[in-house]
Amino acid sequence: MPIDKDTMIEAIDVNKEYRRAGAIIRALSDINLTIKSGEFVIVQGPTGCGKSTLLNVLSGLDLPDSGKIIFDGENIARATEDRLSKIRRQKIGFVFQDFNLVPTLTAIENISALLWPTVLREKEIENRAIAALRDVNLLERKDHYPVQMSGGEKQRCGLARAIVHRPRVILADEPTGNLDPESEKQVMDLLKKINKDMETTIIVVTHRASLSSYADKVISMEKGAIQKIK
Amino acid sequence: MAFRLWKKAILMTLREKKMFTVFILIYTSLIFLTSLFMQLAFTGNLGGIAGFFVLIFFGVSLLLSLLYAWIIVARNRRTWATLKCIGYTNSDINSLVTGKIFFTTFLGFLIVIEILFHYTAGVGYLQSANLLTGIPLVLIDLIPVIFTFIPFLAVQIIALLLANRKIYKVRPIIALKKVGE
Repeated sequence: MPIDKDTMIEAIDVNKEYRRAGAIIRALSDINLTIKSGEFVIVQGPTGCGKSTLLNVLSGLDLPDSGKIIFDGENIARATEDRLSKIRRQKIGFVFQDFNLVPTLTAIENISALLWPTVLREKEIENRAIAALRDVNLLERKDHYPVQMSGGEKQRCGLARAIVHRPRVILADEPTGNLDPESEKQVMDLLKKINKDMETTIIVVTHRASLSSYADKVISMEKGAIQKIK
Repeated sequence: MAFRLWKKAILMTLREKKMFTVFILIYTSLIFLTSLFMQLAFTGNLGGIAGFFVLIFFGVSLLLSLLYAWIIVARNRRTWATLKCIGYTNSDINSLVTGKIFFTTFLGFLIVIEILFHYTAGVGYLQSANLLTGIPLVLIDLIPVIFTFIPFLAVQIIALLLANRKIYKVRPIIALKKVGE
């Protein structure tokens, strides 16, 4: 099947089941989906509807039982673990609900950590981390440990880590789930700015309907299936 | 690349102050005591019981190293999962864990060497001043220390194999689960 060059991610007939306590749970059911390069996509739905599973499958963190995931022209549904690691390092930035910063590293080190296994020189890594911190307005906190930062600052630090390698896609799983309304607005505004300025494709999974105003495309899910796309 | 990860592993280890201090103290004590009893076994003091103690200390060091490796992987599961999420391979994470384990062991060895200088000076002073004449004071040569260190390093390799197996099993998806889930 020919892939449109503007297509960033395409899911074709994707199915995923889990076995839990003897019962089979259909987490994803015949998912067909196209996300274009530079789109801001929000995946919404109630808890347990399969939106996080969809995010996991689209990023190669989990494999579908059947179907294809074409990521930037490559089917990642059957890629090796090392290949998936390389794709994630080069093309994907992750933002987590619980921030997942390494507690023993400062803000700048947490951001640089993504680039440690690369061939970049230390100075270049530091420069990129500083630039990422500046992009999220957190430069003054560069030597602070996660424990010394507020929730909003931690998430902005997580956001800086997600953009330091200039990825093509940012995947955010409930990025504002642990934030107050003011920090939520800051984080979402930053995601929108990154989307506009860097033309990065953004996929945000959330159960908050109020965030849909940020999106170019809203995917509503229920019981593992896509209910509507608008 | 691996060298940079080892350097960063040292940085991370030094910042885990409590665990690092506890393990470095235990390693230092074990290396010192094993060297002392090996010296006693070489010189024939204490008879066969010295060799028995050496074996016990090696056994304890094996258990301790396995425990340290297990703690490094298990306590930081979320960190390793996050690093896998952002693109670290198993081999990259193994480099970090290897750096942590070997740094702690080497530092323990270096501290023992430092302690031996003070110990030797102390024993020399007590003997020359004819103090504590009833207590047999033993000087430790460098050879028992080196003979102690080699098996200690071998034990770390066993611990590393355990850590590598456990790291391989850490799934990156864990990073996306909520804390406590």
